[in-house]
Amino acid sequence: MITAKSKQRLLDVEKLSIAFGNVPIVKDISFGVDAGEILGVVGESGSGKSITCRSLLGLLPRAASVSGRIGFDGKNLLALSGEEMRAIRGRDISMVFQNPASHLDPLMTLGGHVMESLRHHFGQTRKEARQNAIDVLREVQINEPERRIDAYPHELSGGMKQRGMIGSATACRPRLLLADEPTTALDVTVQARILDLLGELNRTQGLSIVFVSHDLAVVAELCHRVVVMRNGEIVEEGPANEILRSPRHKYTKLLIDSQPSLLTLPPVAREEQAKTPLIEVDALSITYSKPGALPGTRKDVVRALQEANLTVEAGESLGIVGESGSGKSTVARAIMRLAEPSGGEIRFRGRNIAALKGTELSEYRRKVQMVFQNPFDSLNPRMRIIDAIAEPMIRHGLATRNEALGRARELMRQVELPLEFADRKPRQLSGGQCQRVGIARALALDPEVLIADEVTSALDVTIQAQILRLLQRLRSERHLTVIYISHDLSVVRKFCDRIAVFRAAKLVELGSAEAVFDRPKESYTKLLLQSAPRLERALERTGASDAGHGRD
Amino acid sequence: MISLSSASARRHFGPGAIEIAAGTAIILTWVVLAVAAPLFSGADPNGIDLIGLLQPPSADHFFGTDHLGRDVFSRVLHAARIDIWMGIAGVIPPLLIGATIGLISGYAGGVIDAVMMRMVDITVAFPFFVLVIAIVGMLGPGLYNYFVALALVGWVSYARLVRAEVLVLKNREFVTAAQALGYGPIVVMVRHILPNTFSSLLVFATTDAVLVLLAGASLGFLGLGVQPPTPEWGAMIADGQPYVVDAWWICFFPGLAATTLGFGFILTSDGLSRVLGR
Repeated sequence: MITAKSKQRLLDVEKLSIAFGNVPIVKDISFGVDAGEILGVVGESGSGKSITCRSLLGLLPRAASVSGRIGFDGKNLLALSGEEMRAIRGRDISMVFQNPASHLDPLMTLGGHVMESLRHHFGQTRKEARQNAIDVLREVQINEPERRIDAYPHELSGGMKQRGMIGSATACRPRLLLADEPTTALDVTVQARILDLLGELNRTQGLSIVFVSHDLAVVAELCHRVVVMRNGEIVEEGPANEILRSPRHKYTKLLIDSQPSLLTLPPVAREEQAKTPLIEVDALSITYSKPGALPGTRKDVVRALQEANLTVEAGESLGIVGESGSGKSTVARAIMRLAEPSGGEIRFRGRNIAALKGTELSEYRRKVQMVFQNPFDSLNPRMRIIDAIAEPMIRHGLATRNEALGRARELMRQVELPLEFADRKPRQLSGGQCQRVGIARALALDPEVLIADEVTSALDVTIQAQILRLLQRLRSERHLTVIYISHDLSVVRKFCDRIAVFRAAKLVELGSAEAVFDRPKESYTKLLLQSAPRLERALERTGASDAGHGRD
Repeated sequence: MISLSSASARRHFGPGAIEIAAGTAIILTWVVLAVAAPLFSGADPNGIDLIGLLQPPSADHFFGTDHLGRDVFSRVLHAARIDIWMGIAGVIPPLLIGATIGLISGYAGGVIDAVMMRMVDITVAFPFFVLVIAIVGMLGPGLYNYFVALALVGWVSYARLVRAEVLVLKNREFVTAAQALGYGPIVVMVRHILPNTFSSLLVFATTDAVLVLLAGASLGFLGLGVQPPTPEWGAMIADGQPYVVDAWWICFFPGLAATTLGFGFILTSDGLSRVLGR
């Protein structure tokens, strides 16, 4: 607290409450940001962190009622008129959003976004603004800014778009940057570079940052101080390394314990290993094509997978990791026979699955089941939970309707879903609960193989921990073989026996979890491991940087 | 404070509930008036009174009399029987045909889709009214031929609507999940995709009912709809047209009737679209 007083307070939020109608979203919170400080705001979905962030810019929906005081530079932002607020927005306080793709105007060039704020706030001419915009783009580490300034968003990669957005937010040299989950939609290697960039802007320009995130490890890497939010309240606040090393509040402890790298999963009892692998993927290539210029012709557009070879042993859990577009989901779709191979084959117990027809195919579909990424989207919104779970058994003729409903209840119990949910529709459930329904539905056919495609990436970290424990228990109880696809290395490390690393449609490394993580052979695997934020490593570093930071 | 009370009403009933309540109230009022028409008006809708021609609205004839001395009030109420039926029944055959074609076309894709969509393009290339009038002209005037013409022309909008919905829905994860669970294409289409198009179908059908109602009235106006002396709003307006300067009430009241019923459908449609979140 002594350090806080010696520095200049930039932002002072006092007793801020935000409500929609009668529903309070943010309850009487107070916090501050010093000049040159990075404040992390951590919380799970529904904790009010994004709404708080938006209120600082006066960008709340009209239905919101706000009380309290937001002090910035001696002014109360809540008392300012729309006109006055507009002068502050983008010039003194600016914001970077989660999804760069949807927050950039597709009809405006990258430079246009940067120039717009310069021209609006400083009245610069087109020529001046353009020259300045090139400098700004260079600062946010965009290569060849003279050329890229005229690029449209669709011509840029996700990381480049996010740099552009940071560029347009920092063009006017604001004193405070609000970053709402700015790296959540990005791949880990890109995320690492964006975090570096934010750290760099903080050091060189003295930019203060409010960094909103659900990811404790990311916050630990970047932030000086942390505010932990839950249900619209601040449960804990303090220096980042202190809070993360010795949390006082039990929710903060739960958050830290739920971090995949710190999670303890029960061991799995595996049956005797069989001689032949259960699934063999042999030189599998998949190419997506679209209709060519002439009718009846097709031209290849995307090579989603090139000559991948891997095997899955009965009872093991194989992790498939890679960044977006690496082909990791394509493998799963091919094994499910949802994508047609353009070369190579997949064998299940020695039989090429492409040759399966009729009852054999139906049999195969029963044995290999899949759980999907988006818990809300993977359930039919018009079907009751119990029907969604019972339907596979009825359609495959495994049970009469009454038997199926009975078994569905038993499955709900197994995935730890309260039976009261049986008659509800998916929208009445939370994401974690929907994901349990997805798992129960996949288990309804008593499969041997369960393919889990990013099943926890849409979930909060505490819920992710529950789902991982559930999957681990089901592995033991049902001797399930699991193919776990994820971009999150720490989850895969905890959960999987063997790991396959994919990059740009190719399998680059395959080996046991220990081998891949401790002695990676490929440079790409090493890069992935380096880029992934890890709480423990971040703590070591914050300890070091605090000492060097010279707080007095 | 008006905004507060309407806001609290919205919170009680949810968005769109007021529109639906008002819209269905208007439609139901017309249904009651139509069914119980004889109770409200003692006059025979087809009773000719050559002495009391073109009487202005009065206590005896609320809406006046037409050029044959028929009671306009009684005719407007009796005409509602035909016009409401036309609005509702005229929507159903095109809906069923269009939804089926759109569902198959969107889900199957490829050649089937290309062929069906070219059929749609050909139908759409002709103006709606021109095609309906041409078909009715060929088949001969009358209510049932009008329904046939509507079915032949009206399905295209439903087919396009459902196809567009299906194209989005078939890439949703729950559809992939259904395929991964080994369900056949018919189960996936009928059980998993189709029910998710119902809300947009319902909204569109209530809007379409207005169009169908007005198209029916227009056909009546052109003498291609319900044949005289059966009262029908469009035909009544056509009858009154030569006298519109001297006896405005002959055209005005059937027009008002068609407008209010149409407004009822529009309100309901608007409310439904809010409730269903579209």
